[in-house]
Amino acid sequence: MSSGTGLENLVDQTISVITNDGRNIVGVLKGFDQATNIILDESHERVYSTKEGVQQLVLGLYIIRGDNISIVGEIDEELDAGLDLSKLRAHPLKPVIH
Amino acid sequence: MLSISLLKTAQGHLMLVELRNGETYNGRLVKCDTWMNIHVHEVICTSKDGDLFWQMPEYYIRGNTIKYLRVLDEVIVKVWEQSMSRTDRKPPGVGRGRGRGREDSTSGRPTKRISPGFDDGAAEGMGGG
Repeated sequence: MSSGTGLENLVDQTISVITNDGRNIVGVLKGFDQATNIILDESHERVYSTKEGVQQLVLGLYIIRGDNISIVGEIDEELDAGLDLSKLRAHPLKPVIH
Repeated sequence: MLSISLLKTAQGHLMLVELRNGETYNGRLVKCDTWMNIHVHEVICTSKDGDLFWQMPEYYIRGNTIKYLRVLDEVIVKVWEQSMSRTDRKPPGVGRGRGRGREDSTSGRPTKRISPGFDDGAAEGMGGG
């Protein structure tokens, strides 16, 4: 009953969310509910590209609707801080197709 | 914290909504409900590509068309303040809470009888008939 999705362990931690439209949003998990709607604080989007480094767009306080969420991942903040995003190249994710 | 409490607190504030079709709506949140249906005033709608804009006085958006909502940073602080002031008034676990009425009950609210014919002899459910 109490341990539903396991997201309660991640509250107040930095998480990475991959949305159905292929965006990667990183922020501090402040809350969630039964429908996996998620509150992200101090969030930013990481935009991946093969031509240039990762761009970070500041988004702020977000409520992401559960319908639109594919993956929620824990972030190792030490490891993440060690990344040089400007040198990172990656293909952008494709949206989920239903 | 639940997303609905943040959304409720955001009532009266400016917010941005992106719908599943990619359109975004900027405006002042007037009302929301548990399905995330929202009523927004003074709206500027932006097309998916961000090249077309429409301005309109109000909009009602069905919750299930929403992709995400962007809320002002200060709103989360307000949620905190509200929950703090609530616990100041009545700390959790201290109140009488739910449950059966007691003999020493001083509240005027009568206890609801579940089965009218049942009588265990104890003076419970005072105030009842």
